[in-house]
Amino acid sequence: MEYTYLTPEIINKIEEYKKEFLTKEQVIIQALHLIYSKYRDITLDHMLELSNYLEVPLSQIEGIVSFYDMFRVKRNARHHIRVCKNLPCHIMGCKKLIELFEKLTGEERNQESKNGRFYIETVECIGACSVAPAFMIDDDLYDGTKITEEKLNEILSKYT
Amino acid sequence: MKSYPNIPNFYTYSSVNLLLRRCKEPRTVDIEEYITTGGYSALKKALNRFTPEDIIVLVEESTLRGRGGAGFPTGRKWRFAVSNSKPRYLVCNADESEPGTFKDRIIIERDPHLLIEGMIISAYAIGAERGFIYIRGEYPAGAKILENAIKEARERGFLGKNILGTDFSFDISVYRGAGAYICGEETALIESLEGKRGHPRLKPPYPVSEGLFGKPTVVNNVETLANIPIIVTYESYYMNIGPAGYYGPKLFPISGKVNKPGVYELTMDITLRELIDIAGGMKDGKKFKAVFAGALGLYSERDLDIPMDYSPKGFGGTGTTIVLAEDDCIIDSLIVIAEFFHHESCGKCTPCRIGSYELLNILKKFQEGTATEKDLQYLEHLGRNIPVGSICGLGYSAPNALMDALKKFKDEFIAHINKQCPAGVCF
Repeated sequence: MEYTYLTPEIINKIEEYKKEFLTKEQVIIQALHLIYSKYRDITLDHMLELSNYLEVPLSQIEGIVSFYDMFRVKRNARHHIRVCKNLPCHIMGCKKLIELFEKLTGEERNQESKNGRFYIETVECIGACSVAPAFMIDDDLYDGTKITEEKLNEILSKYT
Repeated sequence: MKSYPNIPNFYTYSSVNLLLRRCKEPRTVDIEEYITTGGYSALKKALNRFTPEDIIVLVEESTLRGRGGAGFPTGRKWRFAVSNSKPRYLVCNADESEPGTFKDRIIIERDPHLLIEGMIISAYAIGAERGFIYIRGEYPAGAKILENAIKEARERGFLGKNILGTDFSFDISVYRGAGAYICGEETALIESLEGKRGHPRLKPPYPVSEGLFGKPTVVNNVETLANIPIIVTYESYYMNIGPAGYYGPKLFPISGKVNKPGVYELTMDITLRELIDIAGGMKDGKKFKAVFAGALGLYSERDLDIPMDYSPKGFGGTGTTIVLAEDDCIIDSLIVIAEFFHHESCGKCTPCRIGSYELLNILKKFQEGTATEKDLQYLEHLGRNIPVGSICGLGYSAPNALMDALKKFKDEFIAHINKQCPAGVCF
């Protein structure tokens, strides 16, 4: 079968995982990470191809995608802003930070991106409570303790 | 060689300099530096001088308890596992996702070889040939660092076949989770590691007899495993660290309204009051109000002299400490916690799935000023019944903070019924 979404790089990596792990089921979540980071979304077509390639039932893959938070969000933007809203960040003022993000990017939290640059998601604890309110942009973690509008603008300008 | 990603700059402090010995600066210690500062000598000592049984006895004597929150004696867990047949698996639980907990990531990101060395010695003790590190999806840098470190260890012969010329073989794979708090529960973690939805299993059988792929599996927290090289190095001297029965260093992640939030390595004879003092005292000189500690229990000023150990009276748990000041509202905080548990409930047990939602809705009534005395009774009813009807730690601990609050901060609930918020947050 020809694969449209499973690129040769993804297939290579999946093959590595298949050698490393004990069963093919163990590869599913790791493979979904690869797909998600490339396409920023996991659609039925992606799941069908993966199910076909790994020879595991589609229902199992769909069950995983609907269970794990990181695969469920359909973000249609190039960059993913995750702002923690859990208790330590809440009492240290994450509400203001989220509002600041909304103001600077012109996007609304947890809503489809308007121009495809940023997606703002409010998430549970990201394990950075001493720099609360903490936030991540893509894979980078930032200290929100002394954040100002200028500083945030500067950070955002790195992500085009 | 140096291809480690950037890591966050958290404040750290250590009074005993064991777990955080190499974690002072925000950079990853590579294998060369690790070896020149005494790393992997515990592994050599373990393989050359001890039998697996010796190590289990050492760990039993050390009184080491699971640092992931439950506080189960590690030696006893291993003892159960070795009484079962091979193959056995060793799984490192690096899925720390409890609100306010960020201690494991310090070890993972700054001193990954300490964890790996701990895993190799543990695997030797329990007779495992295969190990997994289940790291939460929100730590992409941590996963990369661990993968690099494992590669380095393989190149030096610390991992793989016939480690250091012995007949002991062991290898580790990193497995990324994908954003589910419940996967920190050991049976849910195992389900997730098998490539399924992370639903906890009914216990017993416990993982030590039927775990990963139905085989005996030991699941230990990062901090627990990082203690193993220290125990092997210090042997009986380990018993000089900390109070009787709760020996060893402990990491305390402190956050909230203190002057120096961060990760603190201390011994377990410390009280909450001392802990807050060491963390620089209250931020901006504000008055202390409450603290979320242990298994997300809520404590007031009166509880400040309880020690942070695993005794029935102590705080136990992960060591997490979230400090609230006078301008933070208890109800508002409980709502955040309730939202968290509602969101993270896996949905397997109805009392947890629906109970956590109900709990959230009633708490919101208090914030909106529409609550009555009856709601207070209903909260108590829910708080009693959610743990009874759940099979895992998430359900057991979901109403912890609420039940504590109903005992210690009842006046706040009454004030909210009268449409007043003592902290001035809600109305």
